[in-house]
Amino acid sequence: MRLFLSGLRKLRGRPASLVTVCLLLGLLVLIIIATATVSQRSSGTQAQRVLVLVTFPAAYDLILSFMFGLGGLFAVIYGAAIAGSEWSWGTLKNAVARGESRSRYMLLSFAAIAVMIAIGLVVTFVVGVGAAIVGAKVAGVSTAGLGDSDTLGRLPEEFARGWFAVTEEAALGFAIATLARSQLAGIGAGIAFYFGETFATIFLPDIVKYLPFAVARASVNIGGAAADAANAGGPGAAAALPADTALVLVGVWLVGSLVVALGFSERAEITG
Amino acid sequence: MTSPGALALATRGLRKKYGSRVALDGLDLSVPAGVVYGFLGPNGAGKTTTMRLLTGLLHPDAGSIELLGRPFSARDRRRLFEVGALVESPSFYPYLSGRANLRELAAAGAPVPRNRVEELLELVGLRERANDKVSSYSLGMKQRLGIAGALLSDPTLLLLDEPANGLDPAGIVAMRETLRHLASIGKTVFVSSHLLAEVQVLADVVGIIAGGRLVREGSLDDLLTSEAVIRVRVPGTSSEAAATALAPIGATTPMDGLPGDGAEVWLRVHAAPERAADVNRALASAGIFASGLESGSDLENLFLQLTGGEAQPGSEGTFQGIRQ
Repeated sequence: MRLFLSGLRKLRGRPASLVTVCLLLGLLVLIIIATATVSQRSSGTQAQRVLVLVTFPAAYDLILSFMFGLGGLFAVIYGAAIAGSEWSWGTLKNAVARGESRSRYMLLSFAAIAVMIAIGLVVTFVVGVGAAIVGAKVAGVSTAGLGDSDTLGRLPEEFARGWFAVTEEAALGFAIATLARSQLAGIGAGIAFYFGETFATIFLPDIVKYLPFAVARASVNIGGAAADAANAGGPGAAAALPADTALVLVGVWLVGSLVVALGFSERAEITG
Repeated sequence: MTSPGALALATRGLRKKYGSRVALDGLDLSVPAGVVYGFLGPNGAGKTTTMRLLTGLLHPDAGSIELLGRPFSARDRRRLFEVGALVESPSFYPYLSGRANLRELAAAGAPVPRNRVEELLELVGLRERANDKVSSYSLGMKQRLGIAGALLSDPTLLLLDEPANGLDPAGIVAMRETLRHLASIGKTVFVSSHLLAEVQVLADVVGIIAGGRLVREGSLDDLLTSEAVIRVRVPGTSSEAAATALAPIGATTPMDGLPGDGAEVWLRVHAAPERAADVNRALASAGIFASGLESGSDLENLFLQLTGGEAQPGSEGTFQGIRQ
């Protein structure tokens, strides 16, 4: 428990944690406010379509889609940064030299990352909803749908699925950086994998739909029309797996990534 | 605590290769409990590899390790709960303060009493800067924090890799006093260094490693006695006659490296320091009058001969200097 709490304290004080959440939040708020402002100057079908972003209850799904989409990329980077720095800075060496189990140390470090991701997503969602309410006021759109019981009833499950998917993407970055034993190499490889998978969708959709980022996206696609809309045209959208199947595969990728990371850590020779 | 006479640390046939390069080639160490052990060797001799193996960071290709009287392997990490280590340069989270780094380090491995971090910050003189980020620390401050980290669990066996690196003279003296104090209360301190002078003033027992092998091991007193010499300065024209006159006292060889004025040479007589008067008498009897006579140990010469005189196979070599 003390190792897990230590992991949380280390992440709380880490600039990368704050920067990642602020970046996600900043982009979300910027898009919402820009949408609201632009819609004031437009009219017709185009304006109505844009206004969905600040119209509740659809705004809930759009905010979640944004969080789980871009958040996935950020999670890969974040996971890679945390795991890679343990090797780059030599802090894993310190723990091992004190008799700490390597796999336990890495597993609890990742557990702390998962908790930080949950906190970051909650903060982003709350601020995003707040921004959408402000956007609705600016655009002169009613916020009557804010308390839509059907949507609010779905939110916990959507949120849990999204957190699970984003955590899986962080695990992937975590594993890549562990194999690379480097922050920069891990981040670079994670980003390359993210965009590589997206690009490969054009040529190999039937294969890519089983890959980690595609299953993460598919697993959160459980109902909201806005979520579907957000994913439409996105990678793997045409060949996406059913949400529940994708959720199982998210678990497989998550566990697989951690097994690779922990197994490698256990066997690796720690130098430097 | 280990019993008197027991070994705190022992390795037998320890072997480690990096690719085709042999870093350790059958290392046999015997470190008695309750002493400061100086692990001496030039750069690339295998000191840090040994430290990494002793702390489970590397896996040996062959050989065995015993820590505090019990076998140590990768499966038995809890052995390290009684060991404190500073391996290579100290490593910390740069965005955390010194205090936070120690606190988070204490969360791994053996449990640490709550007030231990504050005690150690006081001991290494970092209390005033304990809340500053480690990224703002000097090399010496990081080194002190690293030593504090090694002491967190009040270890029975302390492994320190070049602990004097980056410390100022006062810090080095304080560190020596701390390590001597730890040995005086029964702890074992294993210190690696490439500096003979540092080890001479600190260690009770010395092991010299070169080319991945232990080439000499024993108490510092024994080594100093076995390498005791008397140095004598005589006129260059009488050096051969002096060597002949001194032969019954001990093997006599000419020395390089000590100052002479050209007309005089230094001779090295392998004899105990208390025979200096005999040396003087023998020279006078032969009609040769020494202009300088001093006694001491030739450990430095031994060290250079064993380690630095020639680059050992697989070592990093040594600084060659400018030769005219």
